[in-house]
Amino acid sequence: MGFLDALLGKRKIAGPAPDRLFALTTAYVDLQTVQGITTRGAAGIVFQQIATADFRQIVADTQELLQGTGQETGSKIEVTDDEFGYKWVIVRDDDIEDLVVSVNTVADNLGAGGYADRILAAVFAFEDGQKQRLYLIYNYKRGTWYPFAPAPGDKQRATERELQLKAQIGAGLPMEADLARWFPLWGIPI
Amino acid sequence: MARPTSFGKDTGLQTRMVMTMFLLGLVYVIFVGVLFAAGASAIFIVVLAGGLFLAQLFASDKLALRAMGAKEVTPAQAPELHAMIDRLCVQADLPKPRIAVADTPMPNAFAMGRSQKSATVCATTGIMQLLSPTELEGVMAHELTHIINRDVVIMTVASFFASIASMITQFGFFFGGGYGGGMGGGDNDDDGPSWLVVMLVSLAVYVISFMLMQALSRYREFAADRGSAVITGRPSGLASALLKISGVNERIPSQDLREAAQMQAFFIAPVGKQVANLFATHPPLEQRIARLERLETQLQGGAAPLAA
Repeated sequence: MGFLDALLGKRKIAGPAPDRLFALTTAYVDLQTVQGITTRGAAGIVFQQIATADFRQIVADTQELLQGTGQETGSKIEVTDDEFGYKWVIVRDDDIEDLVVSVNTVADNLGAGGYADRILAAVFAFEDGQKQRLYLIYNYKRGTWYPFAPAPGDKQRATERELQLKAQIGAGLPMEADLARWFPLWGIPI
Repeated sequence: MARPTSFGKDTGLQTRMVMTMFLLGLVYVIFVGVLFAAGASAIFIVVLAGGLFLAQLFASDKLALRAMGAKEVTPAQAPELHAMIDRLCVQADLPKPRIAVADTPMPNAFAMGRSQKSATVCATTGIMQLLSPTELEGVMAHELTHIINRDVVIMTVASFFASIASMITQFGFFFGGGYGGGMGGGDNDDDGPSWLVVMLVSLAVYVISFMLMQALSRYREFAADRGSAVITGRPSGLASALLKISGVNERIPSQDLREAAQMQAFFIAPVGKQVANLFATHPPLEQRIARLERLETQLQGGAAPLAA
């Protein structure tokens, strides 16, 4: 989004940044052994719903495809809508690699249909030794990761814990440097 | 990839925006030329106006928020609005602006601030009650596009010389005092144009630049509507919001066509529409809706080229 684009009021929505989703699979080894943070066996990808026939077809096809491959890997697939009108494809599998691959399949299929710019984020659910819920969120627009730790209470987040996590795993994952872009996602269905 | 993006380009809108900016610039260049020819006293006015301009650029957002009675809200105070804007910011790849709410039943929303970092979006309680979440999302995405496009800065800059011109027109009598020389100095027989000429030019500059600015503002509204559609992927959401806000929903006739046909004879054809167009900062609702409808058609794969 250059100066000229702003001057002319052009609005091109940012497409996906270079894919750094798979960085999680390598980073997870460290996360698990050193930090004691383990997957809760669930991941989701959230995207805007577009009211077109081909979009609905892509979502349906993707769901079918994942359910097919899920019979081999043991992944379970759900598709839900959230209160903001966004769609979630949720994968349940204890193997982090299967989660990443499934999430990537959804992103690939949406991208192949020309809807890559509709993807908001991928969310992976974790918990630490104290059973506190933690999320790692992958921002597709920027190709960066950031932690999200909801705290007890209505829409509270444990900022201190998130900053700790950044220090702990920042070496392994490409982290979002701008803290103003650590957007929370409330009501994550995993 | 079959379709790289969901929407095409709007070249016509771009062209007209460039043309308007060019004409505005041309008017201003001529104006500055006349000011220089008139002598140093005019430069003083430019410096004075420059100071006002900076003050406007840096303080206008706070003034506008105060004028609207808007208060900044925390995520705890307005969780739904914050969560909605969070998601739109992710989608638009924009740092989160401050969010304010004005407690008034009038449905309205606006964006303020000279940069993306210092931006504020404001919604009234009226608009939040009136619109469904999808519609409100369209409106907020429209305001976020204003921030992305830096419309506050662009319109402030565009109005800079217009406000100088209006100042000279208003204070010209005061400075010029009716005699056709320079103010002070006493060199009445210099070669520069008299204050009367400067005043007339200023008046012309003011009128022309005012109309051009209104046109520019309308184009930027179209651009923001388009940006909103691109961000949310739902052109119809914003269209429906615009209809609701303008109260046109109530005007969608419930009257039987056969009854209405008899009434047509009594209607007076709308007159002066072109003039109304020249002076409006916002494009007519029908045009905005029509463009959003075209975007929706494009999205649905109709691939109707967006005629300018």
